[in-house]
Amino acid sequence: MSTPLPEILDSTLQNIPNLTFTVQDRHRLRIELHRDRLPALLELLKGRAGYLHLSAISCVDWPDTDEFELVYHLWSYEVKTLISAHIHIPKNPGRYISVYDIYTPAAFFERDIHEMFGVYFEGALDMEPFILTEWYGPPPMLKSFSSVDYVKETFKWQEYSPDWLKDIEEKGGQVVE
Amino acid sequence: MKSEICRTPDKEERSLLRQVLDKIANHCRARSLFILHYCTGCGAIELPPVITSRFDSERLGIQPMVTPRQADILLITGYLSIKTLKRVILTYEQMAAPKYVIGMGSCTINGGMYWQSYATIKRLLEYIPVDMYMAGCMPRPEAMQQGFLQLMDNIDNGNANCWKDYYYNYDEYLGHQQALFGPDWHTPTDVIAEARHYQLFGEKTIGDHTALLAKFASKYVTKTIPNHIVGVN
Repeated sequence: MSTPLPEILDSTLQNIPNLTFTVQDRHRLRIELHRDRLPALLELLKGRAGYLHLSAISCVDWPDTDEFELVYHLWSYEVKTLISAHIHIPKNPGRYISVYDIYTPAAFFERDIHEMFGVYFEGALDMEPFILTEWYGPPPMLKSFSSVDYVKETFKWQEYSPDWLKDIEEKGGQVVE
Repeated sequence: MKSEICRTPDKEERSLLRQVLDKIANHCRARSLFILHYCTGCGAIELPPVITSRFDSERLGIQPMVTPRQADILLITGYLSIKTLKRVILTYEQMAAPKYVIGMGSCTINGGMYWQSYATIKRLLEYIPVDMYMAGCMPRPEAMQQGFLQLMDNIDNGNANCWKDYYYNYDEYLGHQQALFGPDWHTPTDVIAEARHYQLFGEKTIGDHTALLAKFASKYVTKTIPNHIVGVN
């Protein structure tokens, strides 16, 4: 580690066991930890280190493993550092606990992830459809969902055979897809 | 004594008179068009130069209008998500006839660059009748002006009658809509009653799909379709 951590952050992180972190940049810190420790980490970061802003929760569906990766992005206006806390949860049953009680903006992110990936957050404010209110299929952001196949099954296509194309086809040419 | 002026014209004459009146009405109509101020997708960015001083569509008699009930043209300016399509259909049905739909950009023709998206529709003409397409991604303001001129010509010549198709083939349009929104989809507009009112009630106005409409009829649907017409028990 080239850049030392701010003192307050260093003492905070020491409270969480089995935590690995990498300083990626002067303003970026990557933390990997066990899923059971995440709420404790968020409590500490918010309560003691001034990380007041949960800017996003992102979800990654790794196709080769049986796990979702959840990334909690936290920003501190005091030390001007972005922390991304990475945890892994098993795809089956795909449940995790909500952090709505710590960060209220989590309600939207969790609702969105539930809709797009099917992860259920226990204790979340609302797990109803958010953007995809007209959607009855599987969670569309999953790697197992093929958008192209769905589109080919569901929609019909406009026929496209203009005159100039017929002329070309007569001479043995074609439109390359 | 039978007055020459007040005589009842015979059928052929009447239709001839109506034809002349229609021609005059169409001629006037083509020179006063209001575009509904409703934009989807990226094409909205091409509209300000078309409407404002740069290309100035007002000199053609085309202006934006804020409410669907007072607009003539529904301009679909790009891709339509399934969620937006619902709103577009609601808006379209609120517009007073005669109404014209212009599909702008490749997205309304065949999905465009979003062809592989699960969330967007591919062919607009399956859901509402389209009078004219402006191809391109996006079409330039010049192309839009050209399209407007062509539409004016079509209206003037009495060729822009796609809105009638919605009444004649309502069952088919509704079927496509139901395929996306589920069998209980219905709008507050009683299209079948409107079709009767405009005397555009055809063989394909009602069918299997409108039967579902009767089944799930909400309080907005004024009259359910009698079973002997639909052909179900």
